[in-house]
Amino acid sequence: MNARSDAPRFLNLFQIRFPVGAICSIGHRVSGVILAAAVPLVVYALDRSLAGPQAYARLAAALATAAGKTAVVVLAWALAHHALAGIRHVLKDVDVGASLGTARRSAWLVLAVGGIIALATAVLVA
Amino acid sequence: MKSVLTGLRAWTVQRVSAAYLLFFLLFALAWVAVHHPMSEAQWRAWVTSGGMREATMLFFAALLAHMWVGLRDVVLDYVKPLLVRTAVLGVLALGLAALGSWTALILIRA
Amino acid sequence: MQFLIYRYDPQSGARPHMQAYDLAPGHGEHMLLDALIRLHEQDDSLAFRRSCREGVCGSDAMNINGRNGLACVTPLASLKEPVTLRPLPSFPVIRDLVVDMTRFFRHYHAIRPYVVDDDPPPERERLQTPAERAELDGLYECILCACCTGFCPSYWWNPERYLGPAALLQAMRFIADSRDHATGERLEFLDDAYRLFRCRSIMNCTEVCPKGLNPNRAIDRIRMRMLKHEV
Ligand code: HEM
Ligand code: SF4
Ligand code: SF4
Ligand code: FES
Repeated sequence: MNARSDAPRFLNLFQIRFPVGAICSIGHRVSGVILAAAVPLVVYALDRSLAGPQAYARLAAALATAAGKTAVVVLAWALAHHALAGIRHVLKDVDVGASLGTARRSAWLVLAVGGIIALATAVLVA
Repeated sequence: MKSVLTGLRAWTVQRVSAAYLLFFLLFALAWVAVHHPMSEAQWRAWVTSGGMREATMLFFAALLAHMWVGLRDVVLDYVKPLLVRTAVLGVLALGLAALGSWTALILIRA
Repeated sequence: MQFLIYRYDPQSGARPHMQAYDLAPGHGEHMLLDALIRLHEQDDSLAFRRSCREGVCGSDAMNINGRNGLACVTPLASLKEPVTLRPLPSFPVIRDLVVDMTRFFRHYHAIRPYVVDDDPPPERERLQTPAERAELDGLYECILCACCTGFCPSYWWNPERYLGPAALLQAMRFIADSRDHATGERLEFLDDAYRLFRCRSIMNCTEVCPKGLNPNRAIDRIRMRMLKHEV
């Protein structure tokens, strides 16, 4: 039996219960995109850091502002979560921790450690 | 029609580049943490020292490859109209190429 | 017991809506499907599929309180009220909880779900050693219910071209079969941007498989086989 060509589909993401692995995974994507969006800024910072003592001092001052510190904390979270989820991912590829129980625990672990690293960075730069 | 960087090959590029990114970032972050706070002269000497300049260039090469595969995956998932998708991927490719040239210039001139 | 059920009638042309039902307990129903059958006695316009009522035929997959599962093996006691039932996410709805499985089976056929062997038939059966047979464990048990594919975000975004976890688990089932001679072709077929490589190892598939299978692991195994095949 076929549906009409204009048949409705149920796909309301707010009415679907996502397992922890899905949360970890969407975090991997979001953090990857955040990191990618920050790369031009990082390259610009690299440029300034090598453009003489004055430019270097100005960069250091910019990083010490509230906006600079916030950026550092966000990037620390993104990098920590992305790298940890990436390692989990590659281990799963080679069949380490591929069972559902282990994968759930490692997803929790990645989310928690990512959060802890972000908090620790916030405390450090504050 | 099979583009060069799809399927298994793209997947492999993603993993190999990730391994180098991880290795380099851990090393660089540890170095910066140990030498904090750093003077401008110290920083410049480190970045331009033998080996480090090349390792940094390789890092950005791996990063751009990693970003291309990763962002293309994201675009394929969410951007459906073929024309828009081609345009977005084109802009992305140009942007990454520009970033690569800029980074190379910075590191060569430094 | 309170129920909230997705209703859609293609004849009326009205948008789908949620309808509340109340079922007096006490008729010895244990599983969600038992309750649905009694609700159907109250309101025979309510449509859903079922056949074996014991987790074998794979026809009563649906979204139950936000997760996909088979109504016939979901104990009522495990469900929070109101029990909210919707059709499999992203599948075209024919009526109420009944969805169109055409594309799902098209993807299944695409992986050639049969042993390919062009050699002349042997005198006797094509035998397997017990070890070769054991390679099929965790793969052959699939009942094609589509709980997994209907819960896979990669499939939601690419239903036309990504084959989805159920078809890929079956792809691994025939790659793993010692009697099949088309392993190379099978691996090359799957090596493009979409058919297999949309999988991001989210593992939503494994979370909801009512047979306890692990499609994500099968997909990872196919990738490893591809890697070996390339070198
Ligand atoms: C620092 C800069 C980095 C950027 C800008 C970046 C960016 C990205 C992006 C945009 C994706 C695609 C995400 C998706 O498809 O959902 C991705 C995927 C991935 N990243 Fe990164 N990444 C970086 C670092 C790393 C590191 C250090 C690792 C180390 C473990 C890593 C491991 C991975 C893996 C394994 C994938 C593939 C995921 C998949 O196939 O589903 N990345 N990355
Ligand atoms: S692991 Fe792959 S197939 Fe399974 S739900 Fe996730 S993306 Fe889909
Ligand atoms: S793998 Fe499991 S969830 Fe998917 S179709 Fe087969 S039995 Fe159903
Ligand atoms: S009725 Fe057959 S699987 Fe549920």
